[in-house]
Amino acid sequence: MRTGGEKAFSRIMLGPITILYVLFLLAPISFFLLMSLFKYDAFNMYAPVVTGENFARLLFDGYYQTIILRTLKIAFLTAFFSLVLGYPLAYFLARTKSAWRGVLMFLVIAPLMTGVIVRTYGWIVLLGREGAVNKVLMTLGFLSEPATILGTELAVLLALVHILMPYMVFPLFSSLASQDPDVERAASTLGAGRVRTFIEVTLPMSRSGIIMGAALVFTLTAGSVVTPALLGGKDVQMIGQQIYELVTSTLNWPLASATAFVLVFCQFSIIFLYFRGGRSRAQ
Amino acid sequence: MRSNASETMPGDDRRGYTKGTISQPTMEFGYLRRVSMGILVTAIYVFLLSPIIIVVFTSFNPTTANTFPPSGFSLRWYGAFFESSGFTSAFQFSLWLGLIAAVAATVIGFFTAYGITRFLTKKRELGQSLAMLPVMIPHILISISLLLLLTVLPIPEMTALIVGHTIICLPFTIAGITASLEGVDKQLELAALTLGASRFRVLVEIVIPLIAPGMLSALIFAFIISFGDVYIALFLSGPGMTTLPIEIFSYMQWESTPVIAAITTLQILMIVVLGLVIERLVGLRKIMRV
Repeated sequence: MRTGGEKAFSRIMLGPITILYVLFLLAPISFFLLMSLFKYDAFNMYAPVVTGENFARLLFDGYYQTIILRTLKIAFLTAFFSLVLGYPLAYFLARTKSAWRGVLMFLVIAPLMTGVIVRTYGWIVLLGREGAVNKVLMTLGFLSEPATILGTELAVLLALVHILMPYMVFPLFSSLASQDPDVERAASTLGAGRVRTFIEVTLPMSRSGIIMGAALVFTLTAGSVVTPALLGGKDVQMIGQQIYELVTSTLNWPLASATAFVLVFCQFSIIFLYFRGGRSRAQ
Repeated sequence: MRSNASETMPGDDRRGYTKGTISQPTMEFGYLRRVSMGILVTAIYVFLLSPIIIVVFTSFNPTTANTFPPSGFSLRWYGAFFESSGFTSAFQFSLWLGLIAAVAATVIGFFTAYGITRFLTKKRELGQSLAMLPVMIPHILISISLLLLLTVLPIPEMTALIVGHTIICLPFTIAGITASLEGVDKQLELAALTLGASRFRVLVEIVIPLIAPGMLSALIFAFIISFGDVYIALFLSGPGMTTLPIEIFSYMQWESTPVIAAITTLQILMIVVLGLVIERLVGLRKIMRV
């Protein structure tokens, strides 16, 4: 009787989340992504006719090509710069003996908690014609008149790196903090220089953190709507905005679904690469 | 000696782990190396924090333009915020939504965390990864799919918004509560069960009191996540149910006066206070362990 009761109890514990995830996460997302295979219909959201035209349009229509390529470029650069900036920070946080460690951790988490809108607005203020960046560049003599930074890819990239970098720092931090510092010491005792120790010992050991962080930042960038809309304007359209417009104004659900599919495809490719890489290492 | 209340929390293993890391021998930094590392890390922190600090400064700007440095000191934009019914009602709406979603995510998160740590012995890793699913899925996708669900099933829009927020908060509440549960001695529960207490009674009288700080932290963190969300609300908010970030977003598409700075400064203030409460209770790192 006891085990029967246990089973029922565990069902009560894990039931709510199962229902929630299946009914409100997995089922609707599958339905939405499946729509990419159907024909567009102005009156019924979609016509029950299987077609490849949505994907064909994304791949061969110049307008969508540009948007997809731009998104991939910005997402790649955002992930890259998040890694370049996030790695030293994560390394420092994982190795420091400073009493301020807790506070320094908090300062990485705090921006994340303010939400996307607050930080995007911060960049509008910083990068505007009257903003601090222009003021500083002019005072230093790099510019004679304020430059237009808002509305460019650079503005979007800067803000996205800033907004998404914490997502890179946390996985990096956990993989670096779980490393045994004795391994690094062993490498240097055996005569490896600091650079060599870093490249051949520390870096490979933090591989899982790098890929986790990169996958997260890449996907979050590719799916962002608000930041490119406010900082990039009409000139820097990205996939996320495209999906938003297709769903809210054009009401072309099948095409929106195909566009979202591109997003999911990219993400799964990275995760796949991660597992493949992991297997070849194990062999 | 620190007299932090959470230090004495029974079986709080994450604390011990942090302490251990600090006392572990680390590489000896050369002087030059240490200085250059210091400069680099400082520069990264400046990059991380300046857009937020600048917002606080701008909110006291007396003029309409988003100029920096501010040309004086004034509270006119705070006045403008409190006079704007659009912003104040959105603020209230976000508070309520955050509260409801946070409570839901904490309750379901507690059930899940307890189920995973106590009942999924072999499939524990799998269970934990599945629970983290909403972090791995772009939120815009979750939001659109819920909008799609609304067109198929007769659910009120408000429910979809609450469900969406609950879903994006769940990974954080589960991670936080799981960490707290790992610190609870299973023998205590076993003893109570052997003495004839029901599973339910064990939860209410033993487990929940022991992890109360962890649960409260999870609740606060979920509230913060919900309050800052823009992507779930992007598709699911409608007339009479606009969240603050959406209200700000639609306002900023037309103009951006420092009234936004005033609102976001208030939001930053609220988040810093709540963040410090969590830090005091269990430590923020515990929750950010995604």
